[in-house]
This record gives sequence, C-alpha cells and structure tokens, in this order.
Amino acid sequence: MPAVLVAVGAVCLLLSVGLCFLNTHEGNRAEGVQFFMHSYLTNYMYCLSFGLGALFFVLVQFLCRAGWSASVRRLAEIMASTLPLMAILFLPIIVMVLMTNSVSLYEWNTDKPEGLIAAKKGFLNGPFFAVRSLVYFLVFIGSAYFVYSNSRRQDESGDAKITLKIQAFSGPLIMLYALAISFASFDWVMSIDADWYSTIFGVIIFAGSMLAFFSLLAISCMLLQRNGKLVKYVTVENYHDIAKFMFGFVMFWAYVSFSQYLLYWYGDIPEETIWYQIRINTDNGWPYIAVILLFCHFVIPFLGLLSRHVRRHRTGLFFWACWLLIAHWIDLSFLILPNAGPVESMFLVGHLLGFIGMVSIFLAMLLLKSINVPLVAVRDPRVPEALSYHNIIV
Amino acid sequence: MAHKHKTKKEPAAPKSFGWMAEFVDEQQLLVAARKLRDSGYTKTDAFTPFPVHGIDEALGIKPTILPFIVLCAGMTGTCTALLLEWYTNAFDYPYIISGKPFASWPAFIPVSFELTILFSAFTTFLGMLALNGLPKFSNPVFTNPRFDRATNDRFFLYVDSKDRYYNRDAVHKLLKDTHPESLEEVLEDESSADIPQPIWMGITTLAIFSLIPLAAIYLIRESRSEEPRFHIFLDMDFQPKKKSQQTTTIFADGRVTRPQVAGTIARGQYAPTGSYYLGYDPEKVASLESAKATRFVTLGQPPAETAGSPEEGTPPAPQEPAPTAPAAEAKPTGTPATTPAPAAPTATEATPATEPAPAQPPAADAAKPADAAAPAAAPATATGEVNLDTLPWLTDFPEGVATEANMARGKQRFEIYCGACHGITGDGNGLVAGRAAELAQGYWTPPTSLHDAKIRQQPVGRIFHTITNGKGKMGGYSSQINAEDRWAIALYVRALQRSRNAKIEDVPEGERAALGNP
Ligand code: HEC
Repeated sequence: MPAVLVAVGAVCLLLSVGLCFLNTHEGNRAEGVQFFMHSYLTNYMYCLSFGLGALFFVLVQFLCRAGWSASVRRLAEIMASTLPLMAILFLPIIVMVLMTNSVSLYEWNTDKPEGLIAAKKGFLNGPFFAVRSLVYFLVFIGSAYFVYSNSRRQDESGDAKITLKIQAFSGPLIMLYALAISFASFDWVMSIDADWYSTIFGVIIFAGSMLAFFSLLAISCMLLQRNGKLVKYVTVENYHDIAKFMFGFVMFWAYVSFSQYLLYWYGDIPEETIWYQIRINTDNGWPYIAVILLFCHFVIPFLGLLSRHVRRHRTGLFFWACWLLIAHWIDLSFLILPNAGPVESMFLVGHLLGFIGMVSIFLAMLLLKSINVPLVAVRDPRVPEALSYHNIIV
Repeated sequence: MAHKHKTKKEPAAPKSFGWMAEFVDEQQLLVAARKLRDSGYTKTDAFTPFPVHGIDEALGIKPTILPFIVLCAGMTGTCTALLLEWYTNAFDYPYIISGKPFASWPAFIPVSFELTILFSAFTTFLGMLALNGLPKFSNPVFTNPRFDRATNDRFFLYVDSKDRYYNRDAVHKLLKDTHPESLEEVLEDESSADIPQPIWMGITTLAIFSLIPLAAIYLIRESRSEEPRFHIFLDMDFQPKKKSQQTTTIFADGRVTRPQVAGTIARGQYAPTGSYYLGYDPEKVASLESAKATRFVTLGQPPAETAGSPEEGTPPAPQEPAPTAPAAEAKPTGTPATTPAPAAPTATEATPATEPAPAQPPAADAAKPADAAAPAAAPATATGEVNLDTLPWLTDFPEGVATEANMARGKQRFEIYCGACHGITGDGNGLVAGRAAELAQGYWTPPTSLHDAKIRQQPVGRIFHTITNGKGKMGGYSSQINAEDRWAIALYVRALQRSRNAKIEDVPEGERAALGNP
C-alpha cells in the first residue's frame, strides 16, 4: 500500500511539474518554474504541518501531565515521526538554494540582491539558509525521535519513570520548538517576499498547523475505529476534547491573522501593506480567496463547532475536520501562491495535482510509520485515567 | 431533635423541608441517587466532600441552559461594542483618525472582541450563581449538626418536600431501603429569620456613607462661592517656579521676565540677513524711492512699547558690518515714532542686531550701522500693504545653487513638503487639495498651480520668499526647511515650470533622440 501511494504521489508531482512547465503564458518558462516552486512549497508546508502540530501536541501533553490524552497520544507520536521523512522532501529546495541562483522561489537567492534585500544578505543567503534549515530539522526530528523512542520503550517495560523523563525534557524542548517553528516559518515561507516581514508570521503558521493536526487526529481516530481499531480506547470524551482544540485553534488562527492585518492596515506603511496589496487589493482573484478564508477558515467552522452537541457527534466532527483540512490548504496557498506571479488556469490543475501527490506520499509515510506499532501507548501509566475521563453528561 | 425544643407557645410541629440520608461512601450515594431518579423525584440534591463522577447523571440533572444564555450575552456584547463605536466615531463626533474612514470596521473589531468576552464572562459567572439560586445565606439542611461532615467524609442525599411526588412516608421508606448511615428529616430552623440588628445597622451606615461622594459632587457643582477653590494637592497648585508677568525678589528690578542680554540672540531667533536668506536684495530696497522704503522699514519694526526703554539696554553696538550701510542714505526724515530704530527680534525675521537700543533721535547719525540693519528685515510678515511685485527680487539663483545634486535634492524635498498640496507635478492637485475639495467646506483656498503664468513670471527670489514666509493659507517653511534646501526646491520648481514650456532646442543635442524626437 505505501509503495502504491508513493508511486501515485510521484506521478502526480511529475504531472504537476509538467503542467506548470508546459502551459506557460507565451512560453515564458520562468513563470512556470516560479509557480511550480511556490506550489511545491505550499503542498510541502501542508504535509509538514501535521507533523509539526503533532510534535507540539505531544510535548504539551507531557509538559502538563495530561491524563485525558494518553490514549490518543501515540497517534500523534506517529504523525510527528513522519518529520524525518518529510525532511527528505525539503531537499529540492535546499539544492535549488545552494546550487543555483534561481529566484523562482526566494528572491534573495541571487548574487546581486538590490535594495532592502541587499541589506539582508547577511541573513538571507544560500549557505546560511541551508544551515538554519538543518538546525530546524534537527530540533524537530530530535524531539520527535526522543519522545517516540522513549514512549515505545515504555510499551515494553511499562516503566513509569520513562514518563517522568520525557516530562522533564518536554519544557526545554517546547522552547526550542517555538523558536524553530517561528524561524522556520520566516525562512521557508516568509522570505519568499524578502522585503516584507511580520513578527507574528510564525504564529500564524503554527496556528494553522495545530488546526490541521487536530483535524487529522480526529479523522484518523474515526477511520481506525471504523476498522475495528482503538474501539475501546477512544471515547466520545476524547473526540469532544479534540474538537474543543479544533474550535480553539479556529479562533486562535483568526486572532493572529487578524492581529497582523489590523496592525498593517492601521500603520498603512507601503513596505508593510505590500503583502496585502497583492492579496486583497488586486483584481486577480486572490481577494475572493481572502473572503473565502474569512468565512471558511473562521466564521463558518466557528459557528459549526460552537455547539457541544456537534463536538460530541462523530459524523458532525468528521465533517468539520475534513472542512478544516481543506481550509488549511487554502490558507497556505493564500500565504504563498500570490507571490508566484500570474496564475494560468492550468497552473491550478498543476497545484491540485501537486497537492494530491504530496498528500499521497505523506499518507505513505504515515502508514509506513504505523505498521506493526501499537496504536495506543498501552502501558503508559496514564491510560486508565484517559479511559475513565468524563467531560460532562449530556 | 427539634421537637425537644418545642415551646409551649407553639405547639405545632416545625415545618418539614424533606428527608436527608447520610452515606459513608460515594458508591452508596450513587445507587441511592439513581433509585430516587428512577422513582421520578427531581427536587433532589447531593452533598459530597469532593466532586463525584457521574453524580449529575445519577440525580438526573438536566444539562444546563447556561451556554445559551452566555451565547446571547456574547452576541449582545458584540453588538453593543459595534454600535457604541459606530455611534461615537461615525455619528456623534466624526473625527478623522490616521486618515481612516469614520466607520473603520477593522479598528472596531478588537473592542467588540473584548466586549464579547466581557459580557460572556460576567454572564457565565452571574448566570451560574443565579441558576444555582445563589447567593443563599442559609439552607435548612444546616440545622442538622451531622451535616457538617459533608465537607469531610460523609455523603448526603436530600429530597426536597417541594417535589411534585413528595410523600413523607414514601420517601422515608425509599431511602431507608438504600441502607443509609442515618436518615433524618430536615426541619425548619427555629431561630428567628429576621436579619440581626447589627447587620441592619451596618447596612444603614454603609448606605449613608455611600451618599457622601454624591452629596460632595452636588455641592461642588452647585456652588456659587467666590472663595478661591480648596487646594487638595498643594504641591501641584503651587509649584516652586515663576511664570511670566509675575514679580520676583531675585532680580533687583523685580521682573520675572528678563530682557534680552546685550549681544545675544535668543534660541531659534537667528535669522541671517542678506539676499541669500531673503530672496531679494536688501541693499536695493534701501535705495528705493524713500516713501516706499519707509513703509517697508516701518513694517519691519516692532511696536513702540516693546522697542525697549532708554534706561536699559546698552548703547547700540554695531553688530552687522558694512553691507547694509548704504541703506542709511535712504533713511527717511520722519518723526521719531517712524524712525527705523534697530529692530527688536520678531518671530520670523529677526536681525542679528538684536539688543534693544534706545530709540533714535530723528537726526541720528545716518552712518550708524545698527540703524541701517533695519531695512533688511523689511517685508517680513507683510500684510499685503507691501507691494511684493516691486521688491527687487533676485532673478538669478545665488551662486552654487544650480547644480545637478541640488536639483535631485530639490525634487526630493519638493515631493516631501510641497507635493501633498501642490501635487507632485506642481499642478495644484495634491492629495490634501483633493481631500479638501471633496470635503467642500468652503473656506479652503486651492493651492496655486505652479505652472500658472503668474507664478512662472515670478523671479526666483520671490518663489524662495514664498517658501520661506508662505502666502495666504500656505504656511512658511523657514522653520522646517533650511535655506539651502529652500533654494533647491525653488530650483526644482523652476525646472518643473520649464518642463512644460521647453522647446526641442532646450534639450542637449545628444539626448534628443531619447525623446523619440528627430
Ligand atoms: C498645506 C498645503 C500647501 C503646501 C504643503 C505648500 N503650499 Fe504652496 N500654496 C498653497 C496654497 C493654498 C497657496 C495659495 C495661497 C494664496 O494664494 O492664498 C499656495 C501658493 C503657492 C505659491 C504661489 C504664491 C503666489 O505668489 O501666489 C507658490 C510658488 C507655492 N505655493 C510654492 C510652494 C512650495 C515650493 C511648497 C513646498 C515647500 C509649497 N508651496 C507647499 C498650499 C500649500
């Protein structure tokens, strides 16, 4: 199964390259390459965000000694352990930055930067970018591996001390994580528009990642239970809690996204508003996406998840989780694609194919990581607490 | 046990509020509660030393409606905030803030967000209290001393006699079957239900005290007293410093405001003379026809009272050297009042010869350079009486102004300082002008187009003078732009004007092709 998925993914990605490359306006190949690179980054960040969200979730559960989540934490650990494999998919970008002077993704990746970018050359340059990316991946992969391997060891020994050990490290790891995800967002995503900056950008990426992760967690639990797995372990109380997190991060995403908008709208300084200029002040369709995001990433799911009855209702929750997964993809596209220049309609097909390809590969990783692994940290001392936990009585 | 205290006056049994069973562990309690629930009792309650999982279900408690109340309150909060902001910003007192529209929805959102939270939080808290019937100072179950252990190690189940199906004996039997540790009837507390005297007194005293601030405010608002007001913060009202026009013992003459020290210039008052700073030739002004010159001179002069009294100040020491000396020739022979005494500094056009000097006698020595300096300050903040058209303006740029670098500088400064009104191209259609025209308030003078024939014909000195001193609604820029930059702007203005009226011959031979012109 994973092999099939990888094959499908590879084919889709290739088709995506082809579509972007061949369908350019007046044969302007550079435009196609530029779009494909942005599209690749979008889909890459999309799949990466599940692992990033999962990692934070796992660390926080240990940090605050959460009992309720012990039964679903293993699923999150598995998702976080896709991070090393995801790192491989980042190689094309690193290669592009190190080996070429292509500005198709990062406009600072040139020998002769101009204006503001020239002043940022000390930070935004190929080798330093590669080194920083390496550090970020070390932090992500290191923490994910640390938690996962220890947790697996507990499966065998049932040693409660292991829980305490992870707990002791989770604090410092979370601090590293916060720095790494913030700067990784700056480097990987924000620097496609190297003139522009926003200090809250990392938080926006983080909010989206958490939302994506919780949605995927809810969906995975439901699919597994439908296939007779985890039946006794994941209760409606767990779903309720996951849904509460989804609801909270819908709110949080809107909060941070609006914070950024409000400040830039208020200050009205050209070098800051330029980012919104090409997103909500043009006539190329992006303004519609902005409105769609406002409603589909905030207003509608907010109202949809407001009621406790929906949050405790599997079908309802499944619907909203799928909804939010799509919204998250639109969100990332909105953050990245407007910088790719003009969009041909065939490009969009390419973008969609790239999405299917990347997600297939990601699913293959997920399957690969969960084969022959207990889906619940069965001997975690907190699992009984998770099973007897109740939110409220309906 | 209440019956032991029965008094002869009240032979009737004390009122019963229901039954209360005591259990030693929560499992027994849950079993009993379920039994009550299944028998249809709803007015029941449990008291436990710690939260017992599943007790709500066992008692058959309905889910609370608090979330809906909170939702409504939250939406009320949002609407209140939006309405308040719209009313104050866009309706009641429209006021431009940061150039945003009066009703700026993005700016409204933080407040509506906060108010939503505030209303929801208060409603959650107060609604929770209200739905639970709190605050309640006393409860009949307190009459039983055993009940004290509800906060320690016992679990109590209570059936209220107000329940629809309540029947004293039936409930007793039902509870008995659950094998409680004890089972007792909750009886009315015999002690008086009146509020104790001291509490009444306390409340009354507080009520009276709470009126004091109101009374004080009323008193102050209605006061017609002529007495000076009562100073609460003495150190704020009486500060150890002197204000102008007060007296002091520090100086012999008792004045707080000190006259200018001889030979000094007050900060910000330095205004060099000379054609470079004036835009016209002061020497030529002096040689103008005398009556006219007199008027200029008078204009440059301060009112007689402030010109300084003879007792103070030092004899006029020549501060300004020769250049202005020839002006003396034109010195009018007017009365002392119109005599050009050395000008005291005025805000915009002070001369360096600034110390107050005694008024000059009419026959004053014409050669005194201090006198001669006066005409240099001439047209100053002219009130239209001076005919600017006939001033001897500079017609050429002073030396060193017309350079490539100055042109670039002038363009930049022009776009910063003038473009907002006059437009980047000088057509008088800048953003400010556009906005003012849109508001159509009636008292706005549109900025002149710099391509106006009238302005094109003005000598450069006059343009410089306009920038320095302003004209009509346009303020002067001498305090913001230094003379060098003002010349650079004038240079650029000239270039703008020229660009509209250039012939192909004006373009250097080599560059004509670039214009697409043969
Ligand atoms: C606040 C808006 C404003 C700004 C800024 C401004 N002006 Fe003006 N300007 C005016 C108005 C209004 C008039 C017309 C005044 C009148 O005739 O009463 C005017 C008139 C003029 C005139 C014609 C004077 C005449 O003799 O009729 C000149 C020349 C001129 N401005 C140059 C400048 C230059 C150069 C700058 C930049 C240093 C500048 N202005 C900045 C509003 C402005």
